[in-house]
Amino acid sequence: MSGPIVLGLRILLALALYVFLGWTLWTIWQDLKRAGQQATTQKIPAIRLEVQIKNQAVISRTFSQPEIILGRESTCDVLLDDATVSARHAKLNYHHGQWWVEDIGSTNGTTLNDEKLTIATVLATGDEIQCGNARVSINRGGMGTVSSTQSLPE
Amino acid sequence: MTDQREGRLLFVAAIFLFLYSIILTLSPAVRERTWDVAYRFSHWVGFVLWIGIVIVAHRITSRRLPDRDPYLLPLASLLGGWGMLTIWRLDAGFGLRQAIWLGVSIAGLTAIIFTPKNLGFLRSYKYILLTGGLGLTALTLLLGTNPAGFGPRLWLGCCGFYFQPSEPLKLLLVIYLAAYLADRLPIHQRIFPLLVPTVFVTGLALLLLLVQRDLGTASIFISLYAAILYLATGKRRALLAAAIALALAGSIGYFLIDIIRIRLDAWLNPWSDPSGHSYQIIQSLLAVANGGMLGLGPGLGSPGLVPVAHSDFIFAAIAEETGLAGTLGLLAIFGLILARGLIISLRAPDRFRRLLAAGLTAYLGIQALLIIGGNLRILPLTGVTLPFVSYGGSSLLTSFIALALLLAVSDQTEETEPASLTSPQHHYLLAALLGIGLFTASLAGLWWAVVRAPDLLTRTDNPRRSIADRYVLRGQLLDRNSQPIDITNGKSGSYQRVYLYPNLAPLVGYTQATYGQAGLEASLDNYLRGLQGYPVSTIWWNRLVYGTPPPGLDVRLSLDLQLQKKADQLLGEFKGAVILINAQTGEILVMASHPTYDPNRLNEIGSFLAQDKNTPLINRAAQGMYPPGTALTPFLSALQKNGVNDNPTTEIYKTLGFYSTPAVEMPQAAPAKVGELENLRVSPLQMAVAAASLSNSGMRPTPRIALAVNTPQDGWVVLHAFNQPTRIFSADIAKNAASQLSAQDQPYWEWTGFGGPNTEISTWYLGGTMPNWQGTPLTVVVLIEGNYPATAQAIGGQLLQTATNP
Repeated sequence: MSGPIVLGLRILLALALYVFLGWTLWTIWQDLKRAGQQATTQKIPAIRLEVQIKNQAVISRTFSQPEIILGRESTCDVLLDDATVSARHAKLNYHHGQWWVEDIGSTNGTTLNDEKLTIATVLATGDEIQCGNARVSINRGGMGTVSSTQSLPE
Repeated sequence: MTDQREGRLLFVAAIFLFLYSIILTLSPAVRERTWDVAYRFSHWVGFVLWIGIVIVAHRITSRRLPDRDPYLLPLASLLGGWGMLTIWRLDAGFGLRQAIWLGVSIAGLTAIIFTPKNLGFLRSYKYILLTGGLGLTALTLLLGTNPAGFGPRLWLGCCGFYFQPSEPLKLLLVIYLAAYLADRLPIHQRIFPLLVPTVFVTGLALLLLLVQRDLGTASIFISLYAAILYLATGKRRALLAAAIALALAGSIGYFLIDIIRIRLDAWLNPWSDPSGHSYQIIQSLLAVANGGMLGLGPGLGSPGLVPVAHSDFIFAAIAEETGLAGTLGLLAIFGLILARGLIISLRAPDRFRRLLAAGLTAYLGIQALLIIGGNLRILPLTGVTLPFVSYGGSSLLTSFIALALLLAVSDQTEETEPASLTSPQHHYLLAALLGIGLFTASLAGLWWAVVRAPDLLTRTDNPRRSIADRYVLRGQLLDRNSQPIDITNGKSGSYQRVYLYPNLAPLVGYTQATYGQAGLEASLDNYLRGLQGYPVSTIWWNRLVYGTPPPGLDVRLSLDLQLQKKADQLLGEFKGAVILINAQTGEILVMASHPTYDPNRLNEIGSFLAQDKNTPLINRAAQGMYPPGTALTPFLSALQKNGVNDNPTTEIYKTLGFYSTPAVEMPQAAPAKVGELENLRVSPLQMAVAAASLSNSGMRPTPRIALAVNTPQDGWVVLHAFNQPTRIFSADIAKNAASQLSAQDQPYWEWTGFGGPNTEISTWYLGGTMPNWQGTPLTVVVLIEGNYPATAQAIGGQLLQTATNP
């Protein structure tokens, strides 16, 4: 009689092992789902760009996506149709609670407030970016102040 | 949230270990199939210690690392507890030590957790730490010992406490490489100046390990170095170079270093030397095969048969007792630990901690795969431990410190942004490699435990068969009147075969742990062991529940002990054989072979028997081959009258059955080759079967020894003869031949002949009832080595008289 009882216990033992594994996997799956939802619902503060090429009229657009590409190519988020602008010229993206601007290998370079951009830099309201002949001014809505202690990531 | 999740998983782990402990407690009852046994309790000490240790670890990590990874501690604790109980099951003394080491390891984990969270001290003191580790390892060159008293001297020991410095050295190498590369990589543009110091220290460590013959650890070092370098620089060449270096070192080592050659040969061709260098690996595979799908259950297998099962081969021990279900679970646990480790690495807030976490993960993964692969014959055997599971304080402590570092790195709030990463590709590749390794191990487990298991388990060098014999009742051998010949005595756990009529030893043989099986005990083993005669479902159920076959079945033999005793008495000290056979049915009533031996004393005399010049182990009646000489005259003259031929021909011998072994389940000598005339040799059994045709109207019967088997569902089931009788003479010829040979004043015929040259002459006596005999037709054959015609005739005649006048 001991045999069948222990057989039952052995099956329970295997079950316990797989409950442990199953539970682990299930909670990891839950984590993953939660992280996914968080990523999709993450609020990106709107940013308004006022674009002026040479002396043409000012075009104003508001973005709420985490990454904005500026350039001459039609796939760019902000189309700067001018010969002095590279196909993909500069990139604006949101991370660490800030909007950052970065030159992405343009021919003529990018300046921020008339200083040449070498690394990703935090943007504030009123900043002006110059890509070739195109000028982009930044309006970060209500959160225009930049905390000066913000450190760059390694 | 994290604490709750970790707590719940730890609770499930505790349930698993609780069930393990209960089964281990009950296991003796299952083995001996009775409740009246000595149960096992000592391992509950280990279980309680584990509970205490885990609660402390959970509390401390909850307080110090609120945002840690919630899975690592439960995963590692389950492995640690599982290993500790498995070790306890193998050896309670080692089990207690392992439980204490588990406590020490948690203390080590606590110490790491209470250091500053950014692990800056590791980064600052990387050279001191590594030099210390190298120094301690170097010290084993001078002061090294081995706790076992022999083997490689890799330990530093004092006062009954042993420590293996090469274990923490792996960890220190990971820390050093992570710290160095994290500090220098952003500065250096050129790769070679950057690598010089790391190559130097890794080379130094490798040299030490090579001198110490710690080759498993050395191969881990090479792999680890390549993995960390690859993660830091993204150069795939690093992995390629390491693979080439390992292959090169292996092939050079094959020719220069004995231990590498032995290990590689044992890996490539294990079946050629199963009891020597490949003993360990074959025993490991046998254990895995014996486990099957579900395993035999904790305490119910025989993992102790695998050498060093508590350390290098703990995976095989776990496979035998928890089966494929357990090993796949174990591999999944390692898979989860590795996956969490890589995720922690990706989320790490700076480059040092990222490299550290990835390096620690690689360390745990590579070491686990190396030894699991060795156990399953995917990789050559290297004497490294299975992290968290194997016996060994240094190994356990190192594994838990690696775990503590991973936990410390994982303790980041969701707001912490991970350090920037050029590409996650390197982590993916590492994850893929480790995943492929675990998957291969799972497939290999399936292969040995399911596909190859039936072949492996029937190997004669599987010691589990003789262990099962101690616990499962073996069937009895009975004579035709149900007089016992061989029985099994004692109680479950100490069953012993008793041979009640030892003079029959050359025929019935023996079954014994050291010397295996012989005679009828071997040829009828499937019935006696319960592997045949039962419905398949019964055998399957017994295998599942008890891990052994059902109780063996009794077999009734055709022997008549009364007549057998008479024959043995008559043959006495002469070397030779006596066979009395029922000429019609072929039932063998007497089969004596002298000299004989006492199988009850096999333990004392076994080694002498094999060398005895008188060859008592050979059953002269069936395994002895003798020249027939003039013993054939009656057959030849009978067939001559038939007008067949003057001289014996291949055709005649074939008719008489001298070129084939009689179809009966007992060990017999190989028959003479077809066409052999001058040098023909026949066994007394062949002669008896041929002679029976003279008493049985020209029909040659098929001999029988096993008459019936006692099955629980149908009672005694008759075992039929394998073949129909064949006619070799017409009834008239048989009658004429028999009457020409008729003995004076006796109701039987007889003939005495001689075979062989003078120096090796043997005397044959053939006799049998007349064809018109009203009772059971009987035939007797006596063979005596030497020239003893009168004795042979006396033995045969008296036996016939006794048999015909009961």
